[in-house]
Formats: sequence, structure tokens, C-alpha cells
Amino acid sequence: MQRPPFAAVALGLVAALASLVPIGYLLLRLFEGFEAAFAELARARTLELLVNTVGLTVSVSLTALVIGAFQAWLTVRTNLPFAPLFAVLATLPLAIPSYVLALGYLSLFPWFSGFWASWFTLSLATAPYVFLALSAALISSNYAAEEVARSLGKNRWQVAIGVTWPQVRPAAFASVLLVALYTLSEFGAIALLRFDTFTRAIYNAYRGSFDRTSAAALALVLVVLTLIVIYFERRYRGDRWQAPTSRGRKRRIELGEARVVSIFGLSLLGLAGAGVPIASLIGWSFNQVSFNLLRLGELVASSLLVALAAGIVIGVFALAISIWNLRFSSRVSNAVDLTAWAAHALPAVVVALALVFFGANIVPVIYQTIWLLLLAYLILFLPNALGLVGTPIAQVPKSIEEVARSQGLSKNAALRKVVLPIAAPGILAGVALAALTVLKELPATLLLRPNELDTLATELWQATEVLAYSQAAPYALALIIIAGVPALVLNAQARKLISEVS
Amino acid sequence: MRLRGALTILSAASLLLTGCAPQTDSLLVYSGRSEALIGPLVEQFEQQTGIEVEVRYAGSAELAAQLLEEGANSPADVFLAQDAGALGAAAKAGLLETMPDELYSLVPANYSAADKSWVGVSGRARVFVYDPSQVSDLPKSIFDLEDASWQGRIGIAPTNASFQAFVTAMRILHGDARTLQWLEAMKSTAVIYEKNGAILEAVEAGQLAAGLINHYYWYARAKEVGTSQMSSRLSQFEGADAGNLVNVAGVGILESSDEAERFVEFLLGSEGQSYFAEETREYPLVGGISPADELTPLSDIPSPLIDLSDLDTLAETLELIRQAGLI
Amino acid sequence: MPLLEIKDVSMSFGATQVLSGITLELENKQLLAVLGSSGAGKSTLMRLLAGFDSVASGSIVLDGTVLSDSTTTIAPEKRSIGIVPQDSALFPHLNVKQNIGFGLSGLAKDAKEQRVSELLQLIRMEEFAGRMPEELSGGQIQRVALARALAPKPKLILLDEPFSALDAELRQQLREEVRQVLRAEGATAVLVTHDQEEALSLADRVAVLREGRIIQVGSPSEIYNSPADVGIATFLGESVLVDGKVVGGKILTDLGSLSALNNVVEGASGVVAIRSENFYLQPNPSGDSEVVGRVFFGHDALVEVQTPKLRIRARSNGPFAPEVGMKVTVWVRGAVNFYPAS
Repeated sequence: MQRPPFAAVALGLVAALASLVPIGYLLLRLFEGFEAAFAELARARTLELLVNTVGLTVSVSLTALVIGAFQAWLTVRTNLPFAPLFAVLATLPLAIPSYVLALGYLSLFPWFSGFWASWFTLSLATAPYVFLALSAALISSNYAAEEVARSLGKNRWQVAIGVTWPQVRPAAFASVLLVALYTLSEFGAIALLRFDTFTRAIYNAYRGSFDRTSAAALALVLVVLTLIVIYFERRYRGDRWQAPTSRGRKRRIELGEARVVSIFGLSLLGLAGAGVPIASLIGWSFNQVSFNLLRLGELVASSLLVALAAGIVIGVFALAISIWNLRFSSRVSNAVDLTAWAAHALPAVVVALALVFFGANIVPVIYQTIWLLLLAYLILFLPNALGLVGTPIAQVPKSIEEVARSQGLSKNAALRKVVLPIAAPGILAGVALAALTVLKELPATLLLRPNELDTLATELWQATEVLAYSQAAPYALALIIIAGVPALVLNAQARKLISEVS
Repeated sequence: MRLRGALTILSAASLLLTGCAPQTDSLLVYSGRSEALIGPLVEQFEQQTGIEVEVRYAGSAELAAQLLEEGANSPADVFLAQDAGALGAAAKAGLLETMPDELYSLVPANYSAADKSWVGVSGRARVFVYDPSQVSDLPKSIFDLEDASWQGRIGIAPTNASFQAFVTAMRILHGDARTLQWLEAMKSTAVIYEKNGAILEAVEAGQLAAGLINHYYWYARAKEVGTSQMSSRLSQFEGADAGNLVNVAGVGILESSDEAERFVEFLLGSEGQSYFAEETREYPLVGGISPADELTPLSDIPSPLIDLSDLDTLAETLELIRQAGLI
Repeated sequence: MPLLEIKDVSMSFGATQVLSGITLELENKQLLAVLGSSGAGKSTLMRLLAGFDSVASGSIVLDGTVLSDSTTTIAPEKRSIGIVPQDSALFPHLNVKQNIGFGLSGLAKDAKEQRVSELLQLIRMEEFAGRMPEELSGGQIQRVALARALAPKPKLILLDEPFSALDAELRQQLREEVRQVLRAEGATAVLVTHDQEEALSLADRVAVLREGRIIQVGSPSEIYNSPADVGIATFLGESVLVDGKVVGGKILTDLGSLSALNNVVEGASGVVAIRSENFYLQPNPSGDSEVVGRVFFGHDALVEVQTPKLRIRARSNGPFAPEVGMKVTVWVRGAVNFYPAS
């Protein structure tokens, strides 16, 4: 096999090393202060945090499942009027960062805080993941099999449980685990709603006390929890029944009288997940005595620049690793790919914390500079980008490359002139999505940003901390418009679903 | 191809590294005081002296911890902290250089570090802010707040430096055990906020009945919206209560330089002091400058008699706060 | 009394009339094939029978019970009608045994096991009992689907183009098997298809469906030999259409005077449909027709012949098919069907 391009290998190795830094340094830190760390973990407070975190994760996961299933079933399987509209409405919360959703409600109900507020906000924010997964599963499930089951004597309920559910179960599992992962790592919304989970405790321990080992100890517990979830997520990811999609027209179930209730329920969810918070933010934006457009412009510009820089960096590394692993696959490349994914387990707060330690002590030259922040973004979002960038490349059929080779091009040239141009739109989309995710990022940015850098997210955060809602609201809306909506538009799953349902 | 790849990487890397060379002719200040408070003052200094100032805003304890983390590697030149505790911690770690005499002597000695590692810049009093429509019986002592009747009605900001300083005072006056008891009571009774500003806003909005903050938040807001527009009121505890602690914000120099000293000089000069008096409504410490008219004179506040230098046992205070589960 | 009676059933989707005036009967243990091209309404008829749609007017009666009419519709699960859908639709999460036994939940465990192994034997898939559907071949899948539908001994079984997903060779083989299985079970079945070979070879009776109406019902040979109109004539098998006029009780055409199968009105003009296999090509050096093309299939051949007035295609026995360029005389065997112009 030909050797991979040097640049690809170099970049890949750098990325792998970078991904190892956070967990590596965290463990190092803990070994140094082992007794203190252990004492930290033995506190009643840790138990309280554990109960809070696990309790919230479980309840949000289950609620998101119920909401997502309700929405998916109605839009995909029944003759619900305006089904495409409701499908869009169900995916809309994805355009709203969770802390913006929290802000939307906080600005409306100042008493909105604690467990129930967090459960409410996160359930609405994560239900779209379940909705998208279940919709896709329901669309591709075998309708004819359900009719056969009825001909064999089963009524509607028995069919739903005995035939439909087993087919969508893998998708349900995978998306619920995704929700759990998201909730475990969630920081912004929970901190604004003042509910003590591990992420908030880690952040406050870092800010409010000297002993950072305690923050590190808490971080370790959080990492263990996320690893447990990831383990299950990976296990069930490939679990798919190889059912051929049924041909013929997809029949829709008549709702009849249930139609009114269904529309009411779906509308309520749509309002709660998007309508109400956005309306509140718009209201607060107009409440401003002196709306500082200049400041907003500055923040938008700096946020976009940082996101663009991060997107390019992440894109370049993702491209390097994808090319190396997909076209010149070897054990080393596989290991590099796996390492990049390993960092995916770590919540942003933990990565940022580890990098602070790392930056301050090992590489002070990049400490408090944009480069450390970019490194954090790389570690955090490289896994996402790998999937988005790798897929278009993998989808270019090998036969095209072979034809190019037969025309006299070397492997690298074939890659450059044939494969990459074809995969380019997909790659660009992947990079764009990575950039948009960076735009919305909060915890790592808060902890690692250079002194002079303010982004929309951090400004929003600071304003909300002092309850300055009219100041925060325009930033929140700007985030939705420049980060959230484009991300939703680029979301291939969502686009596919809307076209299927229309 | 290999060589070209290597060259590309090398040139990119060198660009990276040059991009992060720290600027040597500007001043880097770590400020434990918020940008809203300090920002305008820094701008004034920059305009007057032409010295470029870069400020890192964060919590005092957080910055102190960061300084400890960075140690000798720290890029910071000046540490402006909200209270004595954080400065004391930095001093203990040997990070602060001795303040030049001409600067140190500007402020009465009881408002600065005994070992001259830092100097006080402005004073603040801890106060009890409350909503008169929700609170009829004012607490006489800080320990009254342990009562169940305050459940969910009192707000505190345990990550805030001033709160931590006040807890240190309580430790000095009443001992660790009693303090821990109070903190644990707060854990179940009080509502936790991240900032003093948030507490004030909450009381003003009627969401919260009362809270423990610094005096100047209230006065600064009163100045902005008009005293008649304020719905909340201030009160002090009776006697030399720990809750009435008068504390100082101070400044220490990490890396001695002409610019650093001029910055400290500015803070202690008439512009800096009047700024604190007029703009932020704090108590100026340098002689000859009076506080804003509506403020209670410093001498009239029944504050506990404590040596501010003793407030630097911040680490132990934080330990208690964490033990109570507030952080 | 017929087991299945469909009386004057009509059905529309919105503004489109999909089925009108459908009347059919089916005796016990018979197989009825509903033959029609796509869009004719076959699937709709199936769904009406199965109970997934309701009739707009008319009635469907099975074994004396009204399944569907303008006032009532009995739910699919209560009809005792089995379905074998187009893509078989086996339950992907269950193995072969579980698939077959799916409708037997009312039985005791022993009875259920016995019935399942009975069927496994019938479709000759005993060793595959534990396999999952994704491990089976196309033909195996269809057999399991059939067994599954038959397991609860339904009164009627519906097969919706069950062989269309398979390749030609497999289709042939499977047809035989399916027929055998249905016979062995004594099942009454309705098969819906667009493949005329399938309909003719499997069915006891054939109903031709076009644009939502039944055009003709009869035995396979009736339908084939006496198609009711030109459309059916050309749909089933290969036909050559020739203009003709009734003269003296016979039909005068460019191929000569032909005897009529059906009753004809003297002097009427119309069209005659001649099946390709009804031509006899007599090698004749002085014949008036010439072979201009030939496609050789081995067992037979399709020969294109230019007569003085027409070009026709004739099916000829393979080894004896005339070569290109040969002169022949064209004869028409037997009587033909005459369709007057309307």
C-alpha cells in the first residue's frame, strides 16, 4: 500500500496527542493530590451531586423519549394535518442553545430555577434528538409487516408493541443515550438555573476555591459517569435489524377525534420548546433603554472570527485523519481515530479545567492565548467533525478512484483531483457545522479565553449572571440567528425527515 | 511531497509561536473586581498615561488560585483583589513584591498588609439588603438568619470574595465550629447566587426577601435609577456583628515595573479615589477625599474590630464553606 | 354457496374512482387470480378484502358474514384473512419459527409447536427454524411468509404479487410450490398479479381488472381463448390485430377469410385478434410471404413475416422455424375472435 501523505500523518498524530492531554493531565493531578482527592470524594456533598446529576439525567432522558416518541409517531405515522410544519417545530429547539432556552424562561419567570426548571429546559432541548432518530426509524420500519400482524389477529396496540417497537427500539436506545450524554455534560443551562450538578460544582470549585484538586476529583467522577453512558451508546449503536424498507405507499393512521388533542399537544410542545423563549427574548430586546448595536456588532464579529478559525483548524485536522484512516488505513491510523473519539467522553468543563492546568504549568507560552482555546475546541469537536468530514469521503465509490488511477494518476493525485472535489460539499458542510458548534460553546470559552476576547456566549453569560436580561436578550437572539438556525439547516437528518414527511 | 509537507508544518508552527509572544510593554492586571466597576477607571488611566493595560476579569479567589497555579510563570503584573483574603493568599505564596514606601504610606496602615505586600484601595461595608414589603422584623444578629423563618428568603453569594472575607471574620470572632454551624444553616436556608449584583436585582424585583451584599452595589444602583426608585432598603446588624464587616479592596504588585507603580499610584491618587467615591460609591481610604454624601460615615458603622491582615486565612475559610456544601 | 362474495363494490380516493361495480365470487378451496396492470386497482381491492380500507358502496361477505358494507366494517384482526404481501414483510426481529407462529398465540404451547413444525415441513424448511429473516434467500422468505399466513388456518388467504421480487427462474419454481402448499392446506386464495403467466398457470378462475372495473371473469382457458375485448386479447399473450369485415358469416381479412369463434353481425367491420402461436408457416418456395426476421429462443422462435398486406409475428417451433429469407404461406389455425368497431 502506498504511504499516506506526510501532512496527514503529522496532523493526525498531533491531534491524537492533543486528545490525550486532558485526561492524562487530570489523572496526573489526581495522583499528586491523591489523599485530598479521596477526601473530596468522600464528602456528603459528592453524594448530593451524584444524586442530582444522575436524577436529572435519568428524568430528562425518559421525558425526552416520551416527547420525541409522541411527536415522531404523530408526524410520521398518522394523517396529522400540517405534518411537515409540526416536524419543523419539533426540530426547532435544536437551533436554540440550551443556555439560551434557559435564559428565555428565566427572563420570563425569575423564580425559574432548581431541579424542575432544569428538567423542563433540558427535556425540551434534547427531545429533538429522540424525535429525529425515532422518525427515521418509523419511516424505514416495515409497514406491511404491521398489516400482516393485524391480519394474524393482533389489534392496534399489540401490533405497536409487538412489531413496531422492536424495529424502532435500537434508534430509541441510541438517542436516549445521546440525551443522557448531553445532560451529563451540560453546563450553561444548569448553571443559570442554579441547580447543582457535577458540571456546575466543578466550575464553582474552580472559581471559588484554591484547591483545584477538588475540582479535578469531581471531574473524574463525571468522566466515569460519561464513560458508562458512552459504553452503552457504542454497544447499541450498531444494533439494527436488517429490515428492508417496505415498498408501496405508506399508509397513515386515521386520527379522527384524537386529531384535536394531538394538534393541541404538539403545538404546546412547539410553543414551550421554541415559541415562548424566543418571544420572551424578543420582548426583552426591545426593552432596552439604550441598545448598543455597536457592541453587538463587535461581539458578532469576534464570535464569528473565533468560530471560523476553529472551524478551519478542526476541518484541516479532521480531513487529515479521515484521509489517513479511510484511504491509507493502518493500525496506527485506527488508533489515532480512536484516541480522537476518546476525548468525546469528556464534558467541556473537564477539558477546559485540564487545559488550564496544562497551559499554566507546561506550556505557559500559549497560556491565556487564543491558541489554547483553539486547542480546547479541537479536542472537544474533532470527534463530531470526523464523522461529518469522513462520511462524504467514504461515500465516494472506490471505483471512481480506480478509474482515475487507470487513467494514470497516482494515489495522492487521484485523491486531490478526484475524491476531494467530489466530497468537497460534504466536507465544507462538516466544517461549517463544527464552526457553528464553536460559536455556541460556553464553558471552555469561559475558562480559557484570552483576556481581551469576548464572545456572544460569554457576554450573554455575564449579563445573565447579574440578571441583566435586557442586555443578554439581543445576544441570545443573535446566537440563535447566526449559529442555531444555520446548524439546523445543515442538519442532514432533519432535512431528510422534513422531505419525507412533506 | 514529504519535504514540502514538513516545511509547511514547520512554518505554520513558527507562525503559531510568534503569535503568542506576550507583549512586554503593556501592563497585565488581574482584577478580581468586575469590568463594570473597574473598566472605566482603567480607561482613564490609559488615556492619562498612555500606558496600555490589559485586564483579566474573574473572581478574586479564582485569580488567586490561578496565580498560585502559575507561580513564577505568571504573566500578571498587578493583582487587584476585591478583598484582603485573596491578596493575603498570594502574599503567603511569595508572589507579591513589597510595595514601595511612598505608595504604602498613602493609606492608613490598618487598611493594608502588615508586611507591606499589598495596600488597600477602597473600603466596603457588608450590609443587609431587604424588601420592606416582605421583611418587617429586621434581624439583629447575623445568627438570626439561621432561623427557619428565613427559609428560601435570604440570598448569599458564597463564591464571592467579600462573602468569603466576612466568613473569615466570623471565624475570627466566633471560632470555626460556630461558623460551620452557621454555614450549614445557610446551606438549607439560603438561596445561592453567583454574584452580589444578582442578589440586589432579585431583591429589587421582589423575588427575594433579603440578601447579604456590599454597600456600594445598592448606592451605585440608586445613583443610576434614582434613590426614590429603589424598592429595597439597607440595614446593619446590631453591635459589632461579623455581618457588618468593613473590608477593603486592595492591590499588590507581582512584577515590579514603572508602569505597575504608576498604576498603583493612580488608584491611590485623587482621580482613582474620587472615582471610587463617586462612581462606585465605595469608601476612599486615602486621606482628604470624602465618600459620597448619602453614605453612612465609616466611623458610624458598628463594624467588628479585626485586623485585616488576619483575614488572609482564606484557604481555611474556603475549606469550611466547602465543608458546609455551599461550593 | 360461494365462500367469498364481493357484490357491486365501489371505492374512491378523494375525487378518483378507484373501483366501481366489482362483483366476484369464489368457491371454497379455489384460487382466484385478479389480473391487471399497475394502477388498475388491484392493491385497493386487496386492502378492502383485508380490511384496511372500507367500501364506499356494495358489500363483501365471507362465509356468510358481512365483512364490509356501507354501514359496517369489521377490523382486520377479526376477519380471519391471511396476507402474503408483495415484499413478504417478515418480522425482522423474530426468527423463522417465531414468524410462523406469530398468529397462533391463542393456542396451547404444544398445539402451537405442532402446527409450526407441520408448516415447516410443508415448506421444506425444517432446518431453518432458528434462522433470522436477514439470513434467508428471496425464495425462502416468501415460503415463510406463506406459512405464516396459513398457520392460523384462515378462511381466506390473499397474495399480493408475491413473486414479483424474485428472478424468473425462482418464480417458476416457487409458483409450483405455492400451489402445492395451498392445495395441501385446502386453502381458498385470492392472488393479485400483473403477470399473466402467473395468473393463468396458478388460478382456477381469473378475473381481469382494468381501471377499477372487472372486464371478464372465467377459467384461464376461457380468458385466454375467448378474451372479452381487444384490450384483454392483447394483454394476455401475444396477438396480432388485423382489420376485418364480416362477409358471409366469416371474417374477411388481409390474411384471407377466417372463421369466427364468437357470434358476428353480418356486414360489421372490426378487428380480429390472432395469437402468434395460431399461425402456421408453411414453407413454400412460391408462397406470397417472406420471413424477414427471426429471434431464436431455443425451444421456440418469434418469426417476423411480411405478407402481401401485413407484417406479422408468428411463434414457431424452435428446430423447425423458418430461416430468414424463406418464402412461406401463412395459415391461421382455428377460429378467431372478432371485435366489432364501436
